[in-house]
Amino acid sequence: MNGTFRTPSILPGFGLTLGFSTFFLSAIVLIPLAALVTKTATMGWDDLVRVLTEPRAVASYKLSFGAALLAATLNSVFGFIIAWTLTRYEFPGRKLIDALIDMPFALPTAVSGIALTAVFAENGWIGQYLAPYGIKVAYTWIGIVVALTLIGLPFVVRSVQPALMEVQRDLEDAAETLGAARFTVFRRIILPTVAPAIATGFTMAFARAVGEYGSVIFIAGNLPMKTEITPLLIVIKLEQFDYAGAAALGFAMLVLSFVMLLSINLLQTWGRRRQVVAGR
Amino acid sequence: MSITLDQVTKRYQGSPVVNDVSLEVGEGEFFVLLGPSGSGKSTLLRAIAGLTGVDHGRVALHGNDVTHVSARHRGVGFVFQNYALFRHMTVGENIEFALRVRRMRTEDRRQRRKELLRLVALEGMDDRLPTQLSGGQQQRVAVARALAHKPEVLLLDEPFGALDAKIREELRRTIRQVQRELKITTVLVTHDQEEAFALADRIGVMNLGRLLESGRPDELYDRPATRFVATFLGAANLLLAKQTEQGIRFGATPVNARRIEKLEGGREHEVVAVLRPEEIELAPTRDNLRTNYIATGVVEELVFTGALERIRVRMTSGPSDAHIGSNSHVDGHNTAAILDVTRTQHEQRVFPVVFGQSVAIGVRRIHVLPTPLSSYTVCAAETAAAERLSQHPFLIELAGRMKTRIAKRIDPALATCQGNAQTRISGVAVIAAQVKVAKQVEWLLWNGAAEVMVLPSQAVSPQRVLIHWADDAARRSTLAVAASLLRHVPAEAVYVGILPESRGGEGQRPLGVRTLLDARSEAQAVHGLEMRTELRFGAAAEELQRQLNEQVDQMLILGISDLSQLSREFAPLFAAPAAYSMMIVYRPARESDEQAASA
Repeated sequence: MNGTFRTPSILPGFGLTLGFSTFFLSAIVLIPLAALVTKTATMGWDDLVRVLTEPRAVASYKLSFGAALLAATLNSVFGFIIAWTLTRYEFPGRKLIDALIDMPFALPTAVSGIALTAVFAENGWIGQYLAPYGIKVAYTWIGIVVALTLIGLPFVVRSVQPALMEVQRDLEDAAETLGAARFTVFRRIILPTVAPAIATGFTMAFARAVGEYGSVIFIAGNLPMKTEITPLLIVIKLEQFDYAGAAALGFAMLVLSFVMLLSINLLQTWGRRRQVVAGR
Repeated sequence: MSITLDQVTKRYQGSPVVNDVSLEVGEGEFFVLLGPSGSGKSTLLRAIAGLTGVDHGRVALHGNDVTHVSARHRGVGFVFQNYALFRHMTVGENIEFALRVRRMRTEDRRQRRKELLRLVALEGMDDRLPTQLSGGQQQRVAVARALAHKPEVLLLDEPFGALDAKIREELRRTIRQVQRELKITTVLVTHDQEEAFALADRIGVMNLGRLLESGRPDELYDRPATRFVATFLGAANLLLAKQTEQGIRFGATPVNARRIEKLEGGREHEVVAVLRPEEIELAPTRDNLRTNYIATGVVEELVFTGALERIRVRMTSGPSDAHIGSNSHVDGHNTAAILDVTRTQHEQRVFPVVFGQSVAIGVRRIHVLPTPLSSYTVCAAETAAAERLSQHPFLIELAGRMKTRIAKRIDPALATCQGNAQTRISGVAVIAAQVKVAKQVEWLLWNGAAEVMVLPSQAVSPQRVLIHWADDAARRSTLAVAASLLRHVPAEAVYVGILPESRGGEGQRPLGVRTLLDARSEAQAVHGLEMRTELRFGAAAEELQRQLNEQVDQMLILGISDLSQLSREFAPLFAAPAAYSMMIVYRPARESDEQAASA
């Protein structure tokens, strides 16, 4: 091996950029996470298990992840439809709607939470029409899903939009000349082409929803065991100066999120490989 | 007929992209639609496939009207320039797509897939993804996919556009082979004339949305009817010549070429001659020429290209002012009289030439274009006015598209319109619209001009051209001029037939309609011009004026056979300076022709 001579890369500055990336990631992501793990480690093993398996904690996991999954799913469907409308049709006000999509990004989450609560409360604009049917949105899990859907929507729209724009009209024309009906074209040509983008949007919306705090606490009502999300539980523990307990819950969320995101990614890769093999 | 198009028009934002195209493609024929980009050829192909709707006209496949049938049910195969393969499917799945949506049984699908892959020489590639194939292979897959459902018509839209030269040739051969094997009616769109020659049974040349000419490749090459086809299909030198009773004359040089097609027509008139570079002979002196001498020249440029030698010769004598080819400047003074010549190795050995050498130029074969519009001559009484008019944007556009020149002629007699012109006027005379225009038109026509164009200063390229003739004697020539002009203007052609109201009114209608239909079929059959027809009642001049003032961007082509008709019947058109352009066509009936000659 002639390892004594480094092969110079065509692009200069590799060492510098790698160093910078590592430093930046460490300072902003890895070190705080490490602190979280160390803090958790101050608890004994038994204490840790006790904190994590408290019925109140378990209920909050279910709510947090369940609502986030549901919201991300809703977003995938409606976000796709919105992205489709915006890319495929030319209508007055299209630019305006396009700009509105990003609003949840910019709005302080607390503001959207308060606004949603006002609208969906039993005497609110929308809530008053739902109340007679016995549908309560504010202060129930439904409200949480609504809030999470709102903040996750831009992720799906913005990741699907460019993918849809890239679907060449020729592909649809080709399918049509080959005898495919409109729906077949959609199902067999368009959807598979933009599926990876939808998955990306879903993942981002999900990740954002799991971590969401600001908007949810206003609309959730925060009843223990019923409408209490894990981030809120962490804040409650902090207010009681139970730092180790808060760190433990945070650690649990970290692990759960990581596992879920990883499995979504693996699922995507598997799906792509399956498509390749499916031709046999 | 496998494919029948009847007056198909497709507009985009008001202006026609495909303009009144009628076409028939026979069973098993390989038809190539050839044209520059933006000529509407792809739009026409998409209209055949049903991927684009038409605004007017009819599309029929195998005698069934499919104008309102969706692409899905037309049963055509379509191949796109960028392949348009489904990238998430394997080659096999791509090919089977059409069969799958038809719910064909799996074994039958496999069978068909195998056949098709053999046909395009891609056996064993079933499980590859399109992205794993080269461009040429991808296009083969696209062809196989388009053929899967056994379509009766195969349409290819610039299928070789994205490929390099070598692969292109190979794929061209494959497609020709497949087409012969399946005997499938095929329409291919391309801008490459070499490709068209290599593939086509018949070529249709499109420009500005119109189908200019169609025919066998050799016919189109040897006897084009339009300058566009002459110059688009291979190289061509275009020269202005005089057609006389004896034959053709370039400047003062009569050419006695045997192989000149005889044109009918009485008086001497200007024509456009096509000289193919390979039909030109060079020799040291006039006496050494074995063909008809036309001029002498100096070798200006010499390029060796392997099999052929390309030479450019500047003409020093003879018809040096006759040149109107693509090398010349349109402004009129500076017509660089350069001829493109190609010679074979053999010719090079017989008479080697060097740069700067003087040579005698002969020509083996001359083709005269049957177009009545040869060149434009701006006529004015004074220099400034002529200068101004020769810069008219519409005129420059028109001359540019027709690849002809704009000459200037200053004739003080035009101011008074008295007496005869110093020399006879040839080509189309162009004058500015003004109050005394009727007198000027009359004077110009009297002095030899066959057509006079009246241009208002603000006139633009028209959207609609109205055609009308005073009597039947003027019909033929008016149609010829209209057809020639409309090949170079992306406008709608409308023939306006006008019957006098007093004589029976409505009772005249059947006769009027028959005249219209006759005119339309004559335009189509003799001149290849597709036009609409309208029947009106009333006084011709008023009726025309009313229509012309209805909307802007219109133009009038008016045919007369007697000079007195202008002041007698059409005076209102000239009463005030018009806002629309006019082209007055004058072909004297026989007797008046002789009178003019004796006068």
